Amino acid sequence: MSTAVMPARIAEGSPRVKAKISGVVYFLVFVTGVFGFSVGGRYVVSNDATATAANILAHESLFRLGLASSLIATALYIAVTALFYDLFKPANRSVSLLAAFFSLVGCATGGVSFLLLLAPLVLLKGAQYLSVFNVEQLQALALACLKLAGEANNIGLVFFGVYCLLIGYLIFKSNFLPRILGAAMTFAGLGWLTGSFASFLSPPLIKVLFPYIMWPGMLGEASLTVWLLVKGVNVQRWKEQVSAARESFT
Amino acid sequence: MAELIAQASPRRMARITGVLYLLTIVTGIFAQGFVSERLVVPNDAAATAINILTQKSLFQLGFIVYMIEMACNIAVTALFYELLRPVSRSVSLLAAFLGLAACTIKTLSRVFYIAPLFVLGSSHYLTVFNMEQLQALAFLFLRVNDQGAGMAFPFFGFAAILKGYLILRSNFLPRFLGAWSALAGLGWLTFLSPTLGNRLFPYTAAFGLLGAAAMILWLLIVGVNEQRWKEQSSGQTSF
Repeated sequence: MSTAVMPARIAEGSPRVKAKISGVVYFLVFVTGVFGFSVGGRYVVSNDATATAANILAHESLFRLGLASSLIATALYIAVTALFYDLFKPANRSVSLLAAFFSLVGCATGGVSFLLLLAPLVLLKGAQYLSVFNVEQLQALALACLKLAGEANNIGLVFFGVYCLLIGYLIFKSNFLPRILGAAMTFAGLGWLTGSFASFLSPPLIKVLFPYIMWPGMLGEASLTVWLLVKGVNVQRWKEQVSAARESFT
Repeated sequence: MAELIAQASPRRMARITGVLYLLTIVTGIFAQGFVSERLVVPNDAAATAINILTQKSLFQLGFIVYMIEMACNIAVTALFYELLRPVSRSVSLLAAFLGLAACTIKTLSRVFYIAPLFVLGSSHYLTVFNMEQLQALAFLFLRVNDQGAGMAFPFFGFAAILKGYLILRSNFLPRFLGAWSALAGLGWLTFLSPTLGNRLFPYTAAFGLLGAAAMILWLLIVGVNEQRWKEQSSGQTSF
């Protein structure tokens, strides 16, 4: 598909193309997000500020690349949000808008976590004005910033959790996507919410739950992505639902 | 809840808005008034740190309630967009976007509400600081949280002024609610100068809360005039 053709197709509003594009962008969110997350997490040595600082300084470019990748993931998720708003409008316009609002707040929360991921580089680069702190103190501050970045991420998950729940509901209400995907997204939303609230209430608990608590969310969102990429939406039913929505409004 | 919205009956929507608005106010008052302000001792980092550590669960509960407050606030923002859309879709969208920006700023500042737990916890790596330094850092974070939340007020203010304008021009909600909302919005604009905003806060908050209470009661008990809402919305493009 040439780039010149693509915008025309979107303007035409073919739900199939829109679904495919959403699938592609959603897939790219996974790639960039997982890369960013794994790079960011790799250098943090829990409770060892010196080792963490040494890691980050030794792999500064990769650390920055991970950060850039996370930023791109967030930008792409904003695109998914806008595409899903359009795609699910026929199922229920108000709920679709509500969902988009939640996702946008979640995406913006990522902004603070990126700032906190960038802070260690500022603290550790040995600027003259920072010499009033000793090296160990700067390293401790850097590690505290990284931990806080994780918490900002958890705050974002609250809103992404609600987003997944609402998308699940919209899939249930839609006639153009299989209901099982609605169940998967509901499950994903519950997973993110459980994970974030568990981390607020009991950090030890989340250490036990950690890799597993990611599964419902990852699986739910991955299954929707794959479906959109491979199958798209049932175009005829989508159009039927659009006209039904128009009639009910007037 | 979503079930009810799907029917798109404006009266139902008004009721749901009323319930979620009430929840926003109640959770906000709880987290701010009963947790944050009880544990934070003005200008005393040590006492604040001791309070937070001895009543850690309450402090964490405060955080969770803040999150619920924000979730309700986002939903109310989206619902008001729907309710006031028949008056003017573009102005209503602008009000919603401003409200959304305010919600975002407030949510972001809450990162610094929870941050004290990260420096006050007895992690080994923090022993390079002495206790007073960690307590001062924790207190600094709480101040950033407060200032950040304060920065959200002008955005809420602009949104409230626009909502007030929309209600005044609507045929389905009483005009005094619109006037009140616009005046309360002007009050929140005092936070464009944080010093002025903080000094006038008790009055602005009291006036705003009374207006919110009136709005909530109206939405819960009377709702909106359904027929007039539909009449006004037929002039707008529907989709």
